[in-house]
Amino acid sequence: MRAVLAALVVTAVIIVLLVSYDTRPPRRANPESALRTPAPKVTRRPHPPGSRTAEGRMFNTPYSRIQVLATVYRGRLIDVRTTQLGGNDTHTNALNARAEPILREEALRAGNAEIDVVTGATTTSLMWIEALQSAMERASRG
Amino acid sequence: MAERRVEHVMGMPVVVDVRDAGVGADAVDRVFEWLRFVDATFSTYRPDSEIRRLDRGELALRDAHPDVREVLARCERLRVATGGYFDARARGPLDPSGLVKGWSVDRAAALLRAEGACRFCVNAGGDVLVRGGPWRVGVQHPHERGRIAALLSLTDAAVATSGTYERGEHIIDPLTGRAPSGALAVTVLGRDLATADAYATAAFAMGERGPAWTARLRGCGAMTILAGDRVVSTRRFRRHRLPLGGAASAPTPPSPPACGSPPSWRP
Repeated sequence: MRAVLAALVVTAVIIVLLVSYDTRPPRRANPESALRTPAPKVTRRPHPPGSRTAEGRMFNTPYSRIQVLATVYRGRLIDVRTTQLGGNDTHTNALNARAEPILREEALRAGNAEIDVVTGATTTSLMWIEALQSAMERASRG
Repeated sequence: MAERRVEHVMGMPVVVDVRDAGVGADAVDRVFEWLRFVDATFSTYRPDSEIRRLDRGELALRDAHPDVREVLARCERLRVATGGYFDARARGPLDPSGLVKGWSVDRAAALLRAEGACRFCVNAGGDVLVRGGPWRVGVQHPHERGRIAALLSLTDAAVATSGTYERGEHIIDPLTGRAPSGALAVTVLGRDLATADAYATAAFAMGERGPAWTARLRGCGAMTILAGDRVVSTRRFRRHRLPLGGAASAPTPPSPPACGSPPSWRP
């Protein structure tokens, strides 16, 4: 479980870099701007029977609110969705539009990577990883 | 029970990951209490912090907290050691943040050791200290977004990366007052995070001249990614590298040494 999680650090970095073209984060989170993830354009395969889905706890930073939904099947992360990302609308929209396909793909490949920690990772990606860990723990507990 | 926690403190998420079975939530509580104290004392954003009061002349240095005096004295030594490229007054107002993060994590590590922890990792906004090991530490690639630029195997070490990664992190060259050019990222590894972080900041500010400077550092290794994707690393840095891409087939690392065994750090 931890190896899978660690492997996703790099993915989270991708996403944050994708959306972080403004250099100054908003001074405080605007709770109104937290959006539910819109329905994805790609068709999802249904989760296999016996898989478990859980939403992790909400992580707050001065700049953002992050919450993640994880689906675990036989101890392995098979799906992840960012359900809350407060902050500014540009970030929220960009993340919703771009993150999910990347995360889905990366999650499926993650089994082999063995990285404990990444130096140079961004602030938001660190929080995103914690949000994912929380969701995975809840999904694994059932 | 092992313990892993993240909190937002000092303006960044800090992850504390303790793997020792016998060390629990109390020890990690104390780490975050310490970091919140550091934040309140050293913050450049809080008008009532000692640093801001010193800067406004409302507090004399001799009346400041001993930790503040220690940090400022060390900033001055680093300014001299880096030829002015690490400067707590690079922007004018007093701002020792470039040292405070690493210094406070080093102190947090000492605190965890005193609580009996031997195998733990503290990640403060992308700068990392590990004790025990080996830990596999990836270095984020500065612009190839889905990749790491290097993979390191580290035991009892600290590693800091300065570059254009972090939103809000704007290093300037204190000698010119402008953003440095030439280097995309500098990663420095060493025994303590305060030194590694300050040296990474200074080497990044040096730009093209950074690699030659890092090659002369005692007890530290460094990797610089220059514009045009030229990568320069020191022998000490390469000694800790693992093959990239073959992580799954790399040899199994040795089991962690028992607590109290001599430090395995050999620069």
